[in-house]
Order: sequence, then C-alpha cells, then structure tokens
Amino acid sequence: MVISQTNKKLSLCFDPVFGKNDPVLTDSVYFMDDKSPIKFETLKFYISGVQLFMNTELVWREKESFHLCGTDSDNKKIHLSIPASLEFTRLTFNLGIDSLTNVSGALGGDLDPTKGMYWTWQSGYINFKLEGKSEKCKDPKKEFQFHLGGYSGPNKSLQTISLNSVYKKEIEIKVDLKQFVNSIDLSKQHHIMSLGQAAVILSQAAAKCFSTQ
Amino acid sequence: MKKIGILLLFFLIVGFKDSYELFFVPANWPKPLYDFSKNKITSQKVLLGKTLFYDPALSANNTISCANCHSQYSAFTHVDHALSHGIRDSIGTRNSPALMNLAWQKLFMWDGAINNLDMQALAPIAHPAEMSSNINDVVNKLNQKKMYRALFYNAFGDSVATGERTLKAFAQFLLTIISANSKYDKVIRKEEKFNDQEKNGYQLFKKNCASCHKEPLFTTNNFANNGLKQDTILKDDGRYKITKLPSDSLKFKIPTLRNIEFTYPYMHDGRFKKLSEVLDHYIGNISPSKTLAAELRAPIVLTSNEKVDLTTFLLTLTDKDFLFDKKFSYAGFK
Repeated sequence: MVISQTNKKLSLCFDPVFGKNDPVLTDSVYFMDDKSPIKFETLKFYISGVQLFMNTELVWREKESFHLCGTDSDNKKIHLSIPASLEFTRLTFNLGIDSLTNVSGALGGDLDPTKGMYWTWQSGYINFKLEGKSEKCKDPKKEFQFHLGGYSGPNKSLQTISLNSVYKKEIEIKVDLKQFVNSIDLSKQHHIMSLGQAAVILSQAAAKCFSTQ
Repeated sequence: MKKIGILLLFFLIVGFKDSYELFFVPANWPKPLYDFSKNKITSQKVLLGKTLFYDPALSANNTISCANCHSQYSAFTHVDHALSHGIRDSIGTRNSPALMNLAWQKLFMWDGAINNLDMQALAPIAHPAEMSSNINDVVNKLNQKKMYRALFYNAFGDSVATGERTLKAFAQFLLTIISANSKYDKVIRKEEKFNDQEKNGYQLFKKNCASCHKEPLFTTNNFANNGLKQDTILKDDGRYKITKLPSDSLKFKIPTLRNIEFTYPYMHDGRFKKLSEVLDHYIGNISPSKTLAAELRAPIVLTSNEKVDLTTFLLTLTDKDFLFDKKFSYAGFK
C-alpha cells in the first residue's frame, strides 16, 4: 500500500498512425503522397532504456527496460511506476536493443527469440520491423519487408529518441508510418533483412516518425 | 506404457547425474569465454539439451536432428560430406564444423555469424537447407509433448518450454562436450611419451602451424585467409559477409585440430578429403590475395619425411575417450 501512496502511474501509449491522425489498422488501405495505395501487415519495434529528464537533468530511469511494441493491441502501451512527486519535461528512449544485450545470449520475456524479432543466420535483434504491400514494390507478391537491426560498429542501428512532455497519466506517442514510407522509394527498395548502411539510414528515418505532437 | 516412460525418465535423470562431471576446465587451459553466471550448469538442463540435440522434432518434417550433421564418432561433424546435407536431402554451402570445447569460443560458424553459444541453435533450426523450421514451431512442438514437460519441469521448475529455456538447455549440453584426453594431452600431463616421429612432428607443428592453431585449444579463434582459391560456384567470401569489411574478405574461422583424424573432409567447403591434401595445400598451393594470412606469405617447406612426422603428431590429437564417451551419445540414454 505504501507504494500506491508514493508512486504514480505513467503509461506510454504508442499509436501507429498514417499522417496526422489516421490510426493504422492492418486491414485498411492508405494512400501515399503520390496517391499510390499501401497496406500494412506487421509493425513491431523495441523500446528500451526509458529515461525522464527535468530540463537537462536525468531524474528517473527504468531498470531492465525492454518493451516489444507494435500494432497488436496488447503491446501498444508501456506501464511505468514513478515517484509521486516526480516532475519532468522530457522523456527519452531507445528504438531498438543495445549492443551489450545483443551479445548476452538467450533472454526471456519480450526479448525471447520466439517473439520473431531475432535474426537466426546472424546473431542480433531486429529493432524495427515493418511489413506490408504496395503496387510499387518490384516483388512478385508486391510485398515490402523492412527488418532493421545491427548493433556494432558502423552497422549500429539503435536510435535514441527524445520527446518533450510533462507528466500525464498517459502520454500518447504517435508513430507516423506515412512519413517513414514516403522517405523510401519502394520501387527501388522493398526488402531489407540484414544489417548495413541501408538499415542504418532507414532506422534514422523510423526514429523521426515518433512524436508527442 | 506411461509408467514405463516415467520410470525410464527417472533412471535417466538419476543415472545421468551420478555418471559425470558436468563441466570442467582441463589442467593448463585458459579461462572459458562462456558466461556461466547467466546459465548455471545443472544435470537436468544438460539432459534436456542432450535430448533436444538428438530429437528430429526440431526439423520441419521431423526427420533431421542436430546429430545428423554432428555425429559423435566424427567429433560431432558430418563425416564424409564436403557440404552437409539437411532436410529433404538439401545441400548446404559449407562443411559442418566439428563440435568440441565450445566454452572456449566466442563466435560461432565459419564466418563468426553467431555471437553467443546460446543463439547458435537458431541458425540450423531455421536454415531452409538444414532443419527448415523456426524456434516458435519447435517450442510449440515441445509444449505438446509430455516427455518435454517433465524435462523442462526438472530443469527449470516449470513445465513450459520457452525460447530462452530451450536455447539455454541446448547450450548446456554443448558446453559439456569437452575433448582433452588425447595422447597429446597425456604427454603434456606427463602420463605418456611421444615416440621419436611424434616428437619431431610436434617440433614441426610448433614451427609451422602453432601460431594459428595455438595450443592447448589448437586454434586462436581468429579468422584467417589460409590461401584457398575461392570456389567459383559457391563464391563464399567468409567473414566479409558478416562484417562487410574488405579486410575480412575470404577469411574463415581457424578450426581446432583436435580429433582431426576423424573430422574429414577438411576446410570450410570440405574440399580436401585427406590430411595429406591439406599439407600439400600449405606447402605448395597457397593462392595469393590481399587478405592472405601473414604467416603463409613465405612458403612452408617440408620434406616428405617431415610430412609423415607432422601427420603422426596430428594423429596424437585424437581423443578416443571423447569420440566414444556414452555421456554424449544417443545410446547413453538407454
């Protein structure tokens, strides 16, 4: 009971949207800037290392902070418990899994390899996964698959995202997929399944899609 | 039937527990590289790992187990197959590596693609030419089998199979596969002596081979280009594929030479069937390239007598106790 008096709840709600407010549903058709239709089938990404700042000062961080998020309704929200008196102006988190965790062997919970976010032919977590269909893709099934990962050296794809927000019971964080797919020429690039420069560039583009506005 | 099964399992666990030291560091060996603090060895987990190793249920159509390409009597490699074959007779692109002393390795596979022993099993389970399955299907299958519920319960205090538990148990069995009782080891421990030919072979080995095949593990665990001409069909770039660094082009993991008598064919693509072909390669057939190992830039010179002596020494690395130890074998279950 002591905990409920000294702690308050904080939820981070990740809402995949297309454009400003259109929520992303896996059975809906959306239109890109050039009017071409696009469908999304899978969106999964890791959020890790959640930290809260008062201006520039770190005031709170989550221990063992690894969360698999995405379009499934049960993994849209991260539930945190912070000191009741804590105020903050900014939150930061990583999009992806840090390099130490990547070399730490078999892990459980959201990091269990059965979650479909671990590469098999080359060790490492997939930080961000987006799959769907677009007529523009030069693929027999018109599919695109972006599995972005890579944890070391020039291939490191982990991105740190910093967003302004004061305390609210639930902070809504939009993930704008329109911005992401508009940054890619799907007629030239529809398939990334390994680490490298292309994965790093797309990871940077993915990080820019997160906003509290 | 059920009762017999339970009884069998009981004997299996009890018998297993009493019969062997689970993990040990042989005298004068370096510290293991595996982090045991995150996966403490227990007989129950090793037993689960061993059961998984011999279970064809890991493959998509229940036909291929790990042991198919890693058989104990050939030091856990695929004897006589240059390129290993897996499910539905599919041929892979590399020679399956021998498995031993894995706690002293940090990176796995010929190209070091795997960064932790725990994660190694994921690759052959998922490879379309090996087991063509995936860890989710494997875990689902295990959760449907009564035998595994008991094995997981004994190992983890919970009968549910997860990816993490499956992989950790797997790693535990692999960690126990230690080969350190060859004639060479006995000589080092002063329990036996080399004959004159072996003694001369050992000197030749130290002069010409030991910088890459470093004692006592007979590898530095590094990656090197040993002057093999690239196969024009396989076009295998080795470690370059993983790091994308031009300086890693044509480099492959330096394999241990322990039990080399039984791990034929040799090299990442199994191109050499006999040890004599391997020696001939190093003596006169080195293919020059930018990334060629510095040690091989000057030619290795051996007379035919010296070749025989060196081979005689290499045969002292055979560890029969290891090759036929029941604690690693399928027969050891019975």
